[in-house]
Amino acid sequence: MKLTIHEVAQCLRLPVSTVERWIRQGRIPIQKAENGYLFNESTLEKWAAMYKLPFSIPEKVNTVPQQAKMENLLPSMKRGGLLYDIKGGDVETVLKNAVENIHYLSTTIKEILYTNLLEREQLTSTGIGKGVAIPHPHDPLEDMIKNSIISTCFLEKPIDFNAVDGQPVFVMFILLSPSTKIHLHLLSRLSFCIRENAFVEFLKTTPDSTAFFSNIVDFENRLKKGEHH
Amino acid sequence: MKKTRILTSWRYPGNWPFFRFDDRLLLILMAAIVGNFSGLASVALNRSLVMMSEWLHHFRHDWWVFVLPAVGAALSSLFLEKVVKEGAGHGVPEVIYSVSRYGGLLRFRSSFSRLISSCLTIGSGGSAGPEAPVVISGAAIGSNIAKYFSLNDRQRVTLVGCGAAGAISSIFNAPIAGMVFAIEVIVGEWKSVNIVPIAIASVAGTEISRILQGNQIPFSHHLFNIDLLNIFASIGLAVLSAAAAILLTRMLRSMHTVSHKVSAPIWIRAAMGGCAVGVIGLFLPVVLGEGYHTVKILIEGEYGQVLAVVALASFAKIAATALTLGWGGSGGIFAPCLVIGSLIGVTYHHLLSLLWPSVSWVNEGYYALLGMAGLISGMLQAPLTGIFLIIEITGGWEVILPLIMVSAVTTTLCHYFEPASYYLKDLVEHGHLLRPGTDARVLSDLNVTELIEKDCIIVNQSMLLRDFITIIKKSHRNYFPVEDDQTGNFLGIIHLDDIRPYLFDPVMYDAVFLGQIMNTQVEVVHPDDDLLDVVRKMDMKGLFSMPVVINNRFLGLISKATILDQYRKELMVQTTH
Repeated sequence: MKLTIHEVAQCLRLPVSTVERWIRQGRIPIQKAENGYLFNESTLEKWAAMYKLPFSIPEKVNTVPQQAKMENLLPSMKRGGLLYDIKGGDVETVLKNAVENIHYLSTTIKEILYTNLLEREQLTSTGIGKGVAIPHPHDPLEDMIKNSIISTCFLEKPIDFNAVDGQPVFVMFILLSPSTKIHLHLLSRLSFCIRENAFVEFLKTTPDSTAFFSNIVDFENRLKKGEHH
Repeated sequence: MKKTRILTSWRYPGNWPFFRFDDRLLLILMAAIVGNFSGLASVALNRSLVMMSEWLHHFRHDWWVFVLPAVGAALSSLFLEKVVKEGAGHGVPEVIYSVSRYGGLLRFRSSFSRLISSCLTIGSGGSAGPEAPVVISGAAIGSNIAKYFSLNDRQRVTLVGCGAAGAISSIFNAPIAGMVFAIEVIVGEWKSVNIVPIAIASVAGTEISRILQGNQIPFSHHLFNIDLLNIFASIGLAVLSAAAAILLTRMLRSMHTVSHKVSAPIWIRAAMGGCAVGVIGLFLPVVLGEGYHTVKILIEGEYGQVLAVVALASFAKIAATALTLGWGGSGGIFAPCLVIGSLIGVTYHHLLSLLWPSVSWVNEGYYALLGMAGLISGMLQAPLTGIFLIIEITGGWEVILPLIMVSAVTTTLCHYFEPASYYLKDLVEHGHLLRPGTDARVLSDLNVTELIEKDCIIVNQSMLLRDFITIIKKSHRNYFPVEDDQTGNFLGIIHLDDIRPYLFDPVMYDAVFLGQIMNTQVEVVHPDDDLLDVVRKMDMKGLFSMPVVINNRFLGLISKATILDQYRKELMVQTTH
């Protein structure tokens, strides 16, 4: 591959103007010719090693998809599904029953997840108020899941979740993500929805999946608009 | 198409595949060419000086002879001022300045202008040396050959050093002195990449002069029989020659200041200085001209004058040199230094014989020789140049031990009183002396535009704090430049640290405009600013970032983190071998 002078500058992590000055001053083995620059890539690499300068071709291919990987709420919620009538009178039982019903996960993961969720609840409650809880493991389940999952669990009857505002919880969003970054991304989007009282009222009606997802799509659109603003 | 490329490619030897990564052979080749040309230049000056003095010899006994130096100095200053439009002075600081700042770029006319002007000054009897003029000529020849072959700055600087080395080698028939002078004084960088071509140029320059003028030691002398007592006595001489060197430096400078207070055209001033020299020359002819002949006599110990006359002659030579160079004549201080040094040496010998007549002191030539080394080392503050020059021009290897001692002591003593040598003083005062690998050099090579970071989000002053918060979410910087939304003028900057309290107070979100919370009293940087000043300003005010603004437009930020990153890379490239 033949590099341009701009790419050489990128390889050295330097502005182009510095590379041009070095060429003029004769500090770098590149010659200026009538039509462009003359240099040999391997000599350049040797030269950089001699002067202990960083020289590597920037990885353009890798950087782009990583940003696209950040999924929004909808795919995670579809993967996690909606669970109705979760039974139980206390936090442990409710979580146990909810985890049992997430079909996306294998049995081993379910067990680990359950203990993780309980550990997290012991630190401080995930009941964030308005009757909503977002149980999640303290550390992301890095190796166990590939994609993030949000399971929306409607409880049979509201239970005391030790929430911040003391209100009994009637709906839980179990949030699982492969990395902390994705976790924070989804958590911030989810809390944007819950901040709106109309959405909480809507949740109280125990909606079916079609109505629920179309509501989420609305939120996603609004968030997108906000970002572009 | 192909044919023209072959025809023109010989002018771009740096682009030949063979020289592209390693240009050492190319530089050696070029150095030989440059050494030959600069050697020729110094032979030419030497010959014309001899011709001038032979021609003017007939008038030596006329009563009006004292106006000769005046005419010569006036003509030389007129030539420099009106014909070639170059400044007066001897030229070595100009060469060092161009090496420091402009990669050794010198004008083509510099390769002959000082030759002609110094020939007029010295030939007519002005007290100055032909060495500095040949140094600038040689350097200009090197620079222009480099330019012709489209070589880069580093190669050009080396060739400038080669030119200087070839010139000094040729004029003194002293290859090592030429080499050491070029490296110690002109280039200031002891790297093999410089040393090898400069050595080759010295060889070429010396060879040219040997072919054209014969191989002879300029100031040969009788063998000395030196005992320990004489070696110790030379320390006293070192002190004396240090005093003379300091006196000469101070006199040169004060004459310069005095002459600039005289409101007369520059050539009249030069004539006044020359006239004064001529008057001194009426009584003490030793002060006239470059004085090689005087040195010869002194070294051979045949000057046969009493202490008072020799001492007076030393002072007279110092005064004459200051009058010639300080008032606008053209020439260098090398040769006057040799004359003053040998006079001081002889004076010291007379003093010793007067105080301890029973001790058998060595011939006065020995002290003359050491005095020369002392003066050169003290004036140039380049001990190696002093040592090698004197050894080579006198062939006096047997005096090397006291010689080294005198050079070392004189250099050190002079350094106490004059921290920068005569050549470097002005450059240091104006911050123009930038030796490679120093902090000042790195900062002067880097410029503001290379350090600008442009990934700032620009906001305008009528934006609400609420909207600004969504911008903060997206940004990964702590600084936000504020522009006027109508004119686009830079108004001020918002630093997150300054507005942190408001960020967590939702009541403020819709009540505060950015125009109210921005900082308008910011220090800004212009893209053409010297980085040294920028860094100094940052240090003084404790800033980490400064906005770069041109014509009221915001261009980007400059921050200490980027400066450190680039500074390190620049330093590595400049200093690693």
